[in-house]
Amino acid sequence: MNVITNNTLKSTVALAALQDVVDPEIGLNVVDLGLIYQLDFDEHAGKLYCSMTLTTQFCPMGDSITSAVKERLKLAFPGYEITCELTFDPPWSHAMISPEGKEFLNEK
Amino acid sequence: MFANHDNSGTATTTSYRVVLPFYFYAAIAFLVATVLLFLSTGDLQGHYFHPHTLAITHTMALGWGTMIILGASHQLVPVLIEGPLYSNRLAYLSFLLAAAGIPLLVYGFYVFDVGWPTQTGALLLIGAIICFLINLGTSMVQSKKENIHALSVFTASLWLLATAVVGLLLLCNFSQPLLPAGSLSYLSLHAHMGIVGWFLLLVTGVGSRLIPMFLISKYTHTKTLWWIFMLINTGLLAFVFLFLYTNSRWLFVWPLLAIAAAIVLFGHFCFRAYQERIRKKVDEPMQLSLLSVLLLLLPILLLILIVVWLMLSPAVNSQLVIAYGFIVFFGWITAIVLGMTFKTLPFIVWNKVYHDLAGKGKTPNPKDLFTQAVFNWMGLSYVAGFVVFTTGLFLQQAGILQTGSVLLLITAVLYNWNVMKLLIHKATIV
Repeated sequence: MNVITNNTLKSTVALAALQDVVDPEIGLNVVDLGLIYQLDFDEHAGKLYCSMTLTTQFCPMGDSITSAVKERLKLAFPGYEITCELTFDPPWSHAMISPEGKEFLNEK
Repeated sequence: MFANHDNSGTATTTSYRVVLPFYFYAAIAFLVATVLLFLSTGDLQGHYFHPHTLAITHTMALGWGTMIILGASHQLVPVLIEGPLYSNRLAYLSFLLAAAGIPLLVYGFYVFDVGWPTQTGALLLIGAIICFLINLGTSMVQSKKENIHALSVFTASLWLLATAVVGLLLLCNFSQPLLPAGSLSYLSLHAHMGIVGWFLLLVTGVGSRLIPMFLISKYTHTKTLWWIFMLINTGLLAFVFLFLYTNSRWLFVWPLLAIAAAIVLFGHFCFRAYQERIRKKVDEPMQLSLLSVLLLLLPILLLILIVVWLMLSPAVNSQLVIAYGFIVFFGWITAIVLGMTFKTLPFIVWNKVYHDLAGKGKTPNPKDLFTQAVFNWMGLSYVAGFVVFTTGLFLQQAGILQTGSVLLLITAVLYNWNVMKLLIHKATIV
């Protein structure tokens, strides 16, 4: 799934950092899993807004996954104020898994 | 930019403090049940209405199966209803009442004192179930997102309450006649309200959500799940009605067929979910859980045998009934609990220990928090123990029964090893 962004360059850096955040049950990172919907940057105010979802609403691992996303973005963009929001509109579906993610799941 | 973002779905989950005591209690209960089984193999060669058999059955049904289901349900209800659990306090109260009631009930059965220990135990248990029902019902009403999974859990809990109330009536009926016939005559009613109404309805309702979720399967078919729900409930209601108001034994074939059809549909649902899974590798806990779906067929076959036997002979075949009960509690229910424990508990513990460390360093995977080799040996000893003990029941061989009970005892020890290892896990971060 394509991530909506207002800054393609910075978004590439953010997505690379988020490759380290793995869903512990599935073993796949949140980017290839298609959990990241939007990454917006306000360079003047030093703000980064991330909109993401979970595979299941009220997923028991949800808090940990969103905390990990926030931590990784903080590391990638020091000094930025990070806002990470959960949305279930649209809800996650298997179609959002990237081709690399599908390949990984086929092998695992 | 930064506007109009939907943030309706918060990720609040049930606290691990609510859930873990249920898992701990269930693990100990399983160990106690297998010790009692080992000490009572001789008693299982006689009539099924034996104090030790009743004690083992209730340890397995309540201490093991029900406690772990209640614990897991408190964790899973938010996933099922897409809303938070109404009250942690009610969940604690539910645990405390059940934890106090079950040993009283089991002790009372073991020494066959059907007076205050069993009756107090049953009352405490009823209190625990009512707390769970209030908690679940209020959570469902507040979430306003009812679905077949949550409805199955709620209806199953109503059947559990009905089972416990009938059980209390049967206990009271021993000391002063409340019912038209002796308590023994109603055992089948009590047992099937529990097995079908509570366990089967709950396992199909929750399993139909969890199995595709853990397999990462694309398959979903709500209509099939509604059919399963209707078949189980109408079949069981028909059974209760026929049991209370008719004497014709062959009529029991109809509720049996309805419930058998529900099981076949559930098996088909799980098979389709397995076929359409995205993740190809099925891990060991899921393999054990899928085995339990297959094991559902065995009690149905035995039940058909029992009903046919009842139609041809005036007396109940006690050995068939004991084998049926054993296959339900040590087969189907145990297999699903052994599997699902290691699909849920590691994540609950991981969340507890690593929640604040997420993203700050390399943390172990949830599946690395227990010993895989111990799990594999547990699976092997369980399958071997189940097959050997069931063979012993049919052959009526004390030596085979003893061997089977030792293997099941080993299973319980290995299960406890891994559960305790998980419960005492401390953070390790690289």
